[in-house]
Amino acid sequence: MNFGLILFFLVKGLEISAPIAFAALGAVFSERSGVVNIALEGIMIVTSFTIVWASLALNSIWMGLFFAVIAGMLIALIHAVVSVTFKVDQIVSGVAINILAFGLARFLSQKVFGQETQTPTNPHLFPQLLGINSMAFVLIPIAIIAWFVLYRTVFGLRLRTVGENPEAGDTLGLNVLGLRYAGVIISGAMCGFSAATLFPSQWISGMTAGRGYIALAAMIFGRWDPIGAILASLLFGYADTFRIMFETKIPIPSQFVQMFPYILAVVVLAGMVGKARAPAADGKPYEKGED
Amino acid sequence: MPVIKFKFNKYKLLELFAPVAGFIASIIVLLIIVIAVGESPGKSLVAIYKFSLSSSAKVATILSMSIPLFFAGIAVAFAFQSGVFNIGVEGQYYFGGLVGAMAGIYLHLPAFIHIPVVVLFSMLGGALWALIPAILKVTKNVHEVITTIMFNSIALAFVNYLVNGPLSGLGKGKSLEPQTAKIQSTALFGKLNGAFRFLGWNVPDYVYLDYSLIVAIIIGFLVWFVLFRMRYGFEIRAVGTSLDVSKYAGIKVKRVQLAAFILSGALGGLIGLQEIFAIRGYYTYSIASGLGFDGIAIALIGKNSPLGVVFAAVLFAFLKQAGYGLQFYTAVPNSVIYVITGLMILFIVVINEVVAAYIRALRKKEAV
Repeated sequence: MNFGLILFFLVKGLEISAPIAFAALGAVFSERSGVVNIALEGIMIVTSFTIVWASLALNSIWMGLFFAVIAGMLIALIHAVVSVTFKVDQIVSGVAINILAFGLARFLSQKVFGQETQTPTNPHLFPQLLGINSMAFVLIPIAIIAWFVLYRTVFGLRLRTVGENPEAGDTLGLNVLGLRYAGVIISGAMCGFSAATLFPSQWISGMTAGRGYIALAAMIFGRWDPIGAILASLLFGYADTFRIMFETKIPIPSQFVQMFPYILAVVVLAGMVGKARAPAADGKPYEKGED
Repeated sequence: MPVIKFKFNKYKLLELFAPVAGFIASIIVLLIIVIAVGESPGKSLVAIYKFSLSSSAKVATILSMSIPLFFAGIAVAFAFQSGVFNIGVEGQYYFGGLVGAMAGIYLHLPAFIHIPVVVLFSMLGGALWALIPAILKVTKNVHEVITTIMFNSIALAFVNYLVNGPLSGLGKGKSLEPQTAKIQSTALFGKLNGAFRFLGWNVPDYVYLDYSLIVAIIIGFLVWFVLFRMRYGFEIRAVGTSLDVSKYAGIKVKRVQLAAFILSGALGGLIGLQEIFAIRGYYTYSIASGLGFDGIAIALIGKNSPLGVVFAAVLFAFLKQAGYGLQFYTAVPNSVIYVITGLMILFIVVINEVVAAYIRALRKKEAV
């Protein structure tokens, strides 16, 4: 066996999994607080544009990352206002934001760079490590922090409480809406990291290619748990890496290889009956009792 | 009891407020964007008018564009009525269109049978593509939003494979876009332009007002009839309103949702009719994309009612033309229309919630 190739496959797989994993990690926070965030796809479109835009404008990828995180939080904020404060169906809000984000990135690209479907290439990149974007490795400490925050801090406990039983949380004096805002905005911020690991060299319309939705599937498959979500993301990421690296060597039509991660997602979701349970109040707006 | 009737109307009127206010609010945002970009709002409105309503040809174009949008909207709306969120309409029309095209290419029938047959096969294909997500939803409780999105991607790759491979209609060495063989003339949709001209509406030849318009009218009526005049439609709406209440009422919730999901896919299969059977005359995987997602917006704006979907589809066609007008005459890019569409949905649903809360408060007051 070629060990160089295996090592490259392992490392490359991490790089390809990272954008999905960051978004899935964010989704865990949003959903554990009780808000389904299908807007991840749209948020990712905007952050992946912003990182290129800000890097080019400020000559620094770190500034690019900073503004991508901010942009992600802002779009997530829209989702929070609409679905938490105004109690609109969370999926409807997410779908609308995805439409809006698709147009917004193209609109900005046209206005800033004079091209609607792609930006110029961005020469400011993150340092490379073992031949891949070093930001992919940042996933590991962030995953640990996410786990710690969710299970070992007061904030995490409160977040999970309002996702499971907002009435009880409210009775205990927790700020249900505030905590849900926090959950959603964290998911937006994580999409900034997704952008940092997706393709910070250039923004091309359509480049997110449904990764936001895959992240959501990964989060569900990972049973609403940070570590589970990351492992599920790695499954999708490595499946895709395998496709990219060996597509030409596999004797079946490339379109079937392309379908593989999606079929995998469906099979995986279908196969986990009864084993997983969403947070009890996930997807339900919280109505304070009036009487 | 005239008093109750009066109250009912007042609430109905309030419910209409949201779409109208949402539309107006998003047009205001559009004008703010126009100003921010440094264009004159007046010039932009003229540009929109020129591309949308300035001549009977432009109006006919909007009607033509609204046909596939109507199918997309009614497909999503039908599932919505039963509480199913079918985001997979995109994949359903890719596959449905292909199955319909197969019937148009390989079956030999006289035109008066062939045309209904391709319509039914398109529906069959769309229904088939909705089948697995529908079954997974009702048997294993797998959320349809995720599965249908996955099935969209699978459909795209699958029809790409079929059109490039086994179903390719291209001879060797031709450098044309991959496509199927030509659809037989007996299955092609003729135009109604002549009929409209006879009725005094001057529709030019390049506009496609074809048989798919008739299909749309029939489908719209049928969906209305099923939803509001049949027991099954009542069950669909009951399930969509409250799952728990429906269960207590003895409605077989899963069966209702399964059927609504599959029928929604069948309706989605019709989206490609115009492009495949009237405009192109063959199938290719690059038929207009994104209509499934437009359908979600249309269903939301039309509040899932057949008539609402008609208005929303025309509105959407108008917005698309408005975008082209802006692109053509001003420095405002076409993509602004997506921003406006997204905002319009958000405005409408938010205003809806506010109005609903207001109505609840009103009712409470009256009850006291």
